[in-house]
Amino acid sequence: MRIRRLANGLAVTFLALGLAAAPASAATLAKAKPGRIMSTNMCNDLLLLMLVPKERISSITYLAHDAVAMLMPGADTGVRINHGTAEEVVRERPDLILASPWSTPALRRLGAKVGAPVAEIDAANSFADIRRITRQIGALVGEPARAEALIAGMDRTLAELAATHPRRTVRVVAWSGPGSVPGKGTLTDEIIRIAGGENIAAKYDDGRYSSFGMEELLRARPDALMHGEDRYDGPSLRDSAVAHPVMRKAFAGRQISYPASLYTCGLPQSASAARDLRAALGKLPAGGVTW
Amino acid sequence: MVIRRRWLWLGILLLIVAVLLSLGTGRVWLDPAILLRSIVEPEPSLAWLILSELRLPRTLLGILVGATLGLSGAVLQGLLRNPLAEPGLLGVSAGAALGAVIAIYFGLAASFALATPLFGIGGAIFAATLTLIVGRGGTLMMILAGAAVSGLMAAGLSLALNFAPNPYAAYEITTWLLGTLSDRDWNQLALAAPFILAGWACLALTARDLDALTLGEAQAESLGVNLRRVRLLALAGTAMSVGAATAATGAVGFIGLVAPHLVRPFVGHQPSRVLLPSALFGAILLVFADVATRVIPTSTEVKLGVLTSLAGTPFFFWLVLRLKRLSP
Repeated sequence: MRIRRLANGLAVTFLALGLAAAPASAATLAKAKPGRIMSTNMCNDLLLLMLVPKERISSITYLAHDAVAMLMPGADTGVRINHGTAEEVVRERPDLILASPWSTPALRRLGAKVGAPVAEIDAANSFADIRRITRQIGALVGEPARAEALIAGMDRTLAELAATHPRRTVRVVAWSGPGSVPGKGTLTDEIIRIAGGENIAAKYDDGRYSSFGMEELLRARPDALMHGEDRYDGPSLRDSAVAHPVMRKAFAGRQISYPASLYTCGLPQSASAARDLRAALGKLPAGGVTW
Repeated sequence: MVIRRRWLWLGILLLIVAVLLSLGTGRVWLDPAILLRSIVEPEPSLAWLILSELRLPRTLLGILVGATLGLSGAVLQGLLRNPLAEPGLLGVSAGAALGAVIAIYFGLAASFALATPLFGIGGAIFAATLTLIVGRGGTLMMILAGAAVSGLMAAGLSLALNFAPNPYAAYEITTWLLGTLSDRDWNQLALAAPFILAGWACLALTARDLDALTLGEAQAESLGVNLRRVRLLALAGTAMSVGAATAATGAVGFIGLVAPHLVRPFVGHQPSRVLLPSALFGAILLVFADVATRVIPTSTEVKLGVLTSLAGTPFFFWLVLRLKRLSP
C-alpha cells in the first residue's frame, strides 16, 4: 500500500491511457457472472473479497494479505496469490482481470489474448471516487446489489458524521516521514476533513503529495501527527523518522495511528476510518502543542 | 613554518563559518537573534528544539563524517601512492553501504541499535580486504580491484533491493543510498562516534610510516617499516571510520578524493603533513555541502551525496587529465 501511494503519481500519467482503453462492458458481464476473477492491484483485491464469494476469485495480489488481516481477518484464506505478472494470466486463464492503470502493458496484451476482459480501475481520491469505483467493480463482477449495499453502509456513516460537529477543529498532518505527505485532493485529506480535522499539508498546492521536513513540521506546529499503520511491521526508515527523539518529545501524546489501507485504498470502510479518526481527535489533550 | 600555520588558522576559520551557517540555515528560517537567545536560555521553544535536536547533531555528524572521509582519503593516497585513491574508489563505501542496508532492511537494526554501524564496518572491512588482497601488485591493480569490488558490492545492493521484505523498501534504499545528513539525531551520532574516533586513531598511527613509503615499499621496509602493520592499520582505520560514517549518512563520495588534493599545495606532499589538514578540509567541505543542500531552493531537499558527486566528478576529470599530462 505504501508502494501504491508512490504509484499514485504515475497513475495520473496513465489515467488518460486507462480511460482511453475501453473497459469491459458492464452490461455483457452482468449477464454471465465471471467465475475466475483475477485482481492485480491491492485495492481491487480488497473490494473483490467484499463483493464476491471466494470460489469466484482466481487470485489476488501478494500485497493484500496484511490489509486483509487488518480489515477482514481470514477473508483471503485459501485464495491464490499473484504478483501481477503476465505469466500468471496465462497460468490462471481468468475470465476477468481487475487491473490498475499502471499494470504492465504485457499483462493487458495477454489478457486480451486469453480472452479475459481487462478492466482498469483507477485510484480513489475521494468518497465520490469510492462510490464510483465500488459500483464499477460491482457491475463488472455481476454483484451490483452487493456494491450498493456497501455504498449505502458507507453513506450512512458519512451522514452520521455530517450530522454532528466536533467541538473544535484540530490541525493535523499525516506524516510518516519526510517523504510524501498527502495534501489537497487526496482521500486522506477528505477523511481528515470529514473527521473534523484540518490537514495542514492541504494548503501547499505543489501537487497532491508534498514533502515536509522535520523543521517545517515543527514550525507548522500541528496539534497532532497521524501515521499510517499496516500489518506490515518490518523495519523501515520511515518508522525511524517517526521515532526521532524530537518528534517523540514534541508530539508526546499527540500521535494518532490510522489504518493505512483505508486511507490509500478507497474502500467503503474508509468512512468508518473517518469516524475512528474523529473519536481519536476528540481524545487529544486540549490546547495546542506546547514545548 | 609560518605558511604551515596559516592553513591551520584558515581552516579553523572556515570550519567556524561552516558550522555557524549550518546551525543558522535550514528549510525553516529562524532569526539568528532568536537562535542565539535560545542558546543562552535553553528553554523549550521552536528555535531551541530545531537547534538542539536537529541542527546540532546534524552539524556535528557532518564534521565527523567529513573529517573521516578527508583523513581516510589522505591515508589511502599515501599508502597506495596513488592520487586517485579514496574510500569510494576502493569499494569501501559501497561495502559499508551494503552492510548498513542489510542491517536496516532485514530487521537487525530494529532489534539492536548497534547493528547498523557494526554491519557498515563489517561490509567496509570485507570490501577493503578483498580490494587489498586482489589488488596486490601495483597501483593500477589496486584501482582495478577497487572497481571490481565496487561492482560486487553494487551487485549485492541490487540483490538486497531485489529481496527487500517491504515493497516500499526498494524506493527507500535507493533514496538512502544517495546520502544525507538531514533529520539525524543524537543517538545516531553517539552510535557512530566511538567507531569513527577509533578509526581515526588507527589512521593517525600510520602517519610516520606513510612518509617512509613515499620512497617505495622495498626502501620503506629497509628503513624498518612494518608494511603489514601499516596496511592493517590503514585498512582497519578506514573500515571502522568510513563504515560507521556511511552507516549513519549513506554514501557520500568524493570528499576523500578532493580534500587531500586541496590541501597539498599549502602543506606540501609529505603524507604525514597532509593528514590533519585533509581531515579539517574534509569536514569543511562536507559541512558547506550540507549547507548548500538546504539553501538550494528545490521542493525536495537535494541529497548530500548527489551534490558532492556533482561537484566532485569534474574534479576527478581534472585529476585524470593532469595525471595524463604528467605521465611520460
